[in-house]
Amino acid sequence: MENEGRRKFLGVCVAGATAAAAVAAGYPVFRYLAPRSGQGGAAKLVIPVGELKEGDAKFFEFAGSSAVLIKTQSGELVALSAVCTHLGCIVQWVKEKQQFLCPCHGGQFSTDGTVLGGPPPRPLAKIPLTVTEGNITIG
Amino acid sequence: MLKRLYRWLDLRIGVGEIVEKELTGYLLPRNINEWYSLGSVLLVIFALQVITGMLLMIYYVPDADKAFKSVTFIMNEVPYGWLIRLCHAVGSNMMVAVLILHMLSTLLMGSYKAPRELNWVTGFTLLALVQGISLTGYLAPWSQLSFWATTVATNSASAIPVVGPYLVEFLRGGKLVGPPTLGRFFALHAAVLPVVIAAVIGAHLFLLKRTGVSAPPFGREGTATPFEAQQYHYQGHPGGIPFFPNYALQDLASISIYFAVFLAVVFFWPGMPFTPDAFVPADPFKTPAHIKPEWYFLANYQTLKIFPSELLGLSVQAAAMTFLALLPFIDRSPERHPLKRPVFLTLVIAGILLWIALSVWGHLS
Repeated sequence: MENEGRRKFLGVCVAGATAAAAVAAGYPVFRYLAPRSGQGGAAKLVIPVGELKEGDAKFFEFAGSSAVLIKTQSGELVALSAVCTHLGCIVQWVKEKQQFLCPCHGGQFSTDGTVLGGPPPRPLAKIPLTVTEGNITIG
Repeated sequence: MLKRLYRWLDLRIGVGEIVEKELTGYLLPRNINEWYSLGSVLLVIFALQVITGMLLMIYYVPDADKAFKSVTFIMNEVPYGWLIRLCHAVGSNMMVAVLILHMLSTLLMGSYKAPRELNWVTGFTLLALVQGISLTGYLAPWSQLSFWATTVATNSASAIPVVGPYLVEFLRGGKLVGPPTLGRFFALHAAVLPVVIAAVIGAHLFLLKRTGVSAPPFGREGTATPFEAQQYHYQGHPGGIPFFPNYALQDLASISIYFAVFLAVVFFWPGMPFTPDAFVPADPFKTPAHIKPEWYFLANYQTLKIFPSELLGLSVQAAAMTFLALLPFIDRSPERHPLKRPVFLTLVIAGILLWIALSVWGHLS
C-alpha cells in the first residue's frame, strides 16, 4: 500500500517534470514559429496626389495586407482593403466598369466598397485617408 | 483514460504482444552497463538534429547572396532563433563526440566481434556519414569559416591520382567554392544524407535485433547463450533483465546526463562551435589567416600537413580508416576482455593518444 502511494507520487513528479520540460522546450519553438509582431508593413503610407489619374486605381501593401487607392471619375479619393470579404482573394480593378471584380468567385464591389453582386457577405473595408499639401496620407 | 486507450489499441493491433516482445520481454544481459545506453543517446541527438534542422529551414535561405544574412537574421531577429541554431550547431559536435564514445566502448568491450561484424561496419558507416553531414552543413552559413574550411576540405580530394582535379570540380560544382557548391552541399546536408543516415540507423538496429545484444566481457556473470558459427540463432539472454522498465531507466538517465552537458554548452559556452571567422560573410578574394577545420577533422588536417606528399597523407588516412572499418574481420580471436588482450589494449590506447596528439598539434600549429 505504502509502495503504491510512493509509486503514484513518483509518477506524478515524473509527469509534472515531463510537462514542465515540454513547456520549456515548446515555448521557444512556438515563439520561433509564430508570426513576428510589427512585421506587417507600414501602417501609414504617403502617396503624392499626382500619382493617380481620375478613374485609376493603385494597389499597395498596407499594414501587412493588400489595399487599393482609387480616384473616382468625379475626383473623389477612396482607400479600401483589396481583400475580398468572401474567401480572401485580391480584387481586381475593372476600369471600364469603374468597379472591383474578384476573379475567384465573381464578387463585385462598387468604388466605395459596397457589394454589387456575387457571394461576398460584406463590403470591402474602408481605410481612412487625408489629403494635405498634395500628398495623400493613408491610415 | 490511458488504460482505456491502451486496451482499445490492444484489441485492434495487439499492442500488448509488441510490448511483451520488444519491451518487457526483451531481455538484456544481467551485467549490462551504462555504456550500452549511448546508442539511445545518439538516437535522441539525431532526432533533435532533424527537428532543429527543419526549424532552421523555415528562415534559412540556401542562396550565396542571402545565406549569411538569413543566418544572422535567425540569430538576432527571430525569437529564440539563437537557441534553435545553437542547439543544431552544438548538437552536431555532440553527435560526433558521442558517436566516438559509442564506438570506443564497442571497441574496448570487443562487441564488434562475431556475430556482430555487420553492426560494426554499419556503425562505422554512420561515423563517416555523420562526418559528411557535418562537413556539408558547415558551408550553410556562408561565412568566411564555412567558405575556406570547405575550400580546404574539398581541395584534399585533388591528391587522388588522375581523377582528383575533376573530383574537386565535381564536388564544388565549379573550379572554386561558390554558389553552386552551396546548392549541392545544402541538398546533401538537408535531403540526401539525413535519409541515408536514417536508413543506415534502421539497418544498424535491425542487425542489433537479429543478433541480440552482446554481453559485456566483465562485471557480473554473463547470461548470453554462446555464439556458434554453425547456423543462425538469436543470441538471447535467458534470465536477463527486461529492457522496460529496467534498462529504459538507464537510457533515460544517460539521456538526461547528455542533456545536462549539451544545454550547459548551449547556454554557458555558446561560442564553442564558432571562431571569429564564423561571424564574417564569405569573401572569395580574402583568405583568413589560420583557417582550421572542426576539432574532429584536426587530426586528418595535421596528418596532411606532416606528410610531404598530399597523396601519401591521404593514403595513410585511408589505410587507417579501412583497417578500422574491417577490424572485426582482421581481429578474429574470441577473447573479448580488454585486460586479457594486452596487445590490442596497447594499440587502442596508442591510437587514441596519437589521435589526440595530432588534433592538439593541428590546433596549435
